Amino acid sequence: MLKKLTIFIVLFGIVFGGCGTVDLKVRKNLDHPNIHPNTVAILPFTLAGPTPEGVPVHRLFRECFFNYFSYLGYVDVPLETIDYKLQAAGMKKYKEVLGFSPEKLRDILAVDAVIKGQVLETNNFTGGIHAETSIKAKIEMIDLRTGETLWETEHKERIYSGILSPTVVEIIQDQMDNVKVHQALYKTAEMFSIGIMMEIPDPAEVWQKKIRLPEIKSIETNLRPNQKLKPDDRIYVNLKGDAGLKGSFGIGSWKSNIPLREITPGMYSGSYIVQESDEISSALIVGTLKNAQGLAGKRFYKHGMAVIEKSSLN
Amino acid sequence: MALSVSSCATDLQTRVAGNLTALSKNQTVAILPVETSDPGQKEMAKMFRQGLYANLKQSKFHLLERYVIDGLLKQNKLIDPSTLLAINPMRFGEILGVDAIVFSRINKVERSYFVLHSSIELSVSVQMVDTRSGEILWRAEQTEQDFSGIGKIPTGITTALLAPIQFVTNKFNLSRMTSNMVDKLTVLIKHPNEADKENQFEKPVIAKNATTELKKIEELQQLKAEWQKTIILGEEAELSDSSENLESNKESLVEITTKPESNSVKKNIMQARSLVQKRKRVESEMPPLSPKKEAKIPVPINLSQATTVEPIAVIESKEVRPITRSHVGTSAKQLASPKTQLYTIQVGAYKTKAHARKLEQSLKRKGYDVFITQNGKNIYRVQVDRFKSKEDAIKLAHRIQIKEKLKNFVTRFSGV
Repeated sequence: MLKKLTIFIVLFGIVFGGCGTVDLKVRKNLDHPNIHPNTVAILPFTLAGPTPEGVPVHRLFRECFFNYFSYLGYVDVPLETIDYKLQAAGMKKYKEVLGFSPEKLRDILAVDAVIKGQVLETNNFTGGIHAETSIKAKIEMIDLRTGETLWETEHKERIYSGILSPTVVEIIQDQMDNVKVHQALYKTAEMFSIGIMMEIPDPAEVWQKKIRLPEIKSIETNLRPNQKLKPDDRIYVNLKGDAGLKGSFGIGSWKSNIPLREITPGMYSGSYIVQESDEISSALIVGTLKNAQGLAGKRFYKHGMAVIEKSSLN
Repeated sequence: MALSVSSCATDLQTRVAGNLTALSKNQTVAILPVETSDPGQKEMAKMFRQGLYANLKQSKFHLLERYVIDGLLKQNKLIDPSTLLAINPMRFGEILGVDAIVFSRINKVERSYFVLHSSIELSVSVQMVDTRSGEILWRAEQTEQDFSGIGKIPTGITTALLAPIQFVTNKFNLSRMTSNMVDKLTVLIKHPNEADKENQFEKPVIAKNATTELKKIEELQQLKAEWQKTIILGEEAELSDSSENLESNKESLVEITTKPESNSVKKNIMQARSLVQKRKRVESEMPPLSPKKEAKIPVPINLSQATTVEPIAVIESKEVRPITRSHVGTSAKQLASPKTQLYTIQVGAYKTKAHARKLEQSLKRKGYDVFITQNGKNIYRVQVDRFKSKEDAIKLAHRIQIKEKLKNFVTRFSGV
């Protein structure tokens, strides 16, 4: 009796649990900080066979994977950018990407590593008291600098409900959820992604020490304490900071990205003319310097606020 | 019926601000580390933050990478997530270089087990604040509950006993619930245009810390404006006193205009001192935002904020003397000797030397003998010529006023 119960508990745990841990094989010791790739592109996932109701599982899974992957310490290139670059390089079908050499991919995408994903099998079945959705996929990360596989996994994520489900309500609920095919597949892809993220080596700690935002040493404007602005008044902003960056300033959250021109290295200057239609109330001027990686340094000017005179608002 | 009664329960209260729609890919948002009310909630906090990332990645704005946020917070010694909410959002704007931040807190992760019944209850609070204005763009409170037990009609006696245990111990359930929770929580922020009226803030709501900070800045500005006003009066007093001592027998317009006010001027100086003290007190209460003091860049002179002391007295005289140095005929050092009392015309005073230089160059080009002196308050004064006779100085001052449209006054020459 005890033996039967033990077997039942084990089966119960495995089956009802729906998903086992993702078995990710790390092929290369990534302990050394210089080994970790920084920029990563998630290539279009490929699809091996037909999918339930023709849902593009490979696309859905790639997007879901990308969303969760952004949590890890890599600089992930937007999917649209990757697709655009690959198409510009002559890729017409997703499967072609599997044949690209690491050198070619590095030339096209200018990244340290890529993630290749192949959806091998998908299933969505609802019948009787049985409901199941599964995605089986092979995912690997390839270091384009060396051509080596850094890690890989082949995993089947399964959300199952059936005879072993403990309650009638859950069986019915799972069946109801399972017939919404797209949603069920997305949920399975999500669980796959959550599971794999727990195993993928995360270099966050490595890069954290090296982060440096563009520095703004000073910001100056012609706004005086308690000054009320009128239409046609010009707000001047001068900013001193790191050279060769993209400078801009904003007026609170009301207006942003007003360009600043770099007049001499590290000195940025720009202005804004107050318009009749402007409605600015106690807004701080904020200067921004952005580098090529998209990281921004910001600094507020706190000695004066942009305030439009009320009479001119009316 | 059993299904509707016993299914997973969600209580979600969410509100968004109209300005949320203004966020685009040009704006960067940082999801800060999640605060927990109990050390045992760390795993849930990680899952929740990860879920927020995955979901908000689909929104209109750009998300700052998690490792960048954590790295910068570490560099600024902001390691404890429970302290983050108390910090002014504007400070995060400068530390992280972002336009908005997302604070979140795990209020409750409660697992209950009563033999035939078990439940999990999760509760979170989230708030997104614009770092540029302090406005709350999104605020949500959510509670998610699920259970296993008799209410869900067990398929057998064994499952009736085992299901509740399995429900509370299986990590997958917590993960699934968290994932579901974040999906529901972020629906509105991913599509703020679809928010009903009841899900929108009626008026812009400013975060408490930002309000305090903005109030302090406004107060500080008020004081600065008053202070500048008083300093101007103070300089008038100084001028009047010195003129009175040196040339008590001679009358000048400056003396006439300032003498009757000598008592009120002293009062003004006292007032200025107290304002300076008050200003320092307010500044010290503010969180340090910019520890380094750097050289300032010149801004157009006519609109310069750095012009802290404006020329004040307009001197009236009918006679105008040509601009020459011959009427003095001595070097600056000689002129500054204590035995000879000289006068000069002050045309401007600036906190920043570059601004003073600009005016100096402009007047030099017009042939004036112009120079810069510095007083004890680190103010750069732009002065024109030196005169033994105060009358001569007044005459030239008048000419400068008319020809150059520059307000000025005659003062004692104290050396270059």
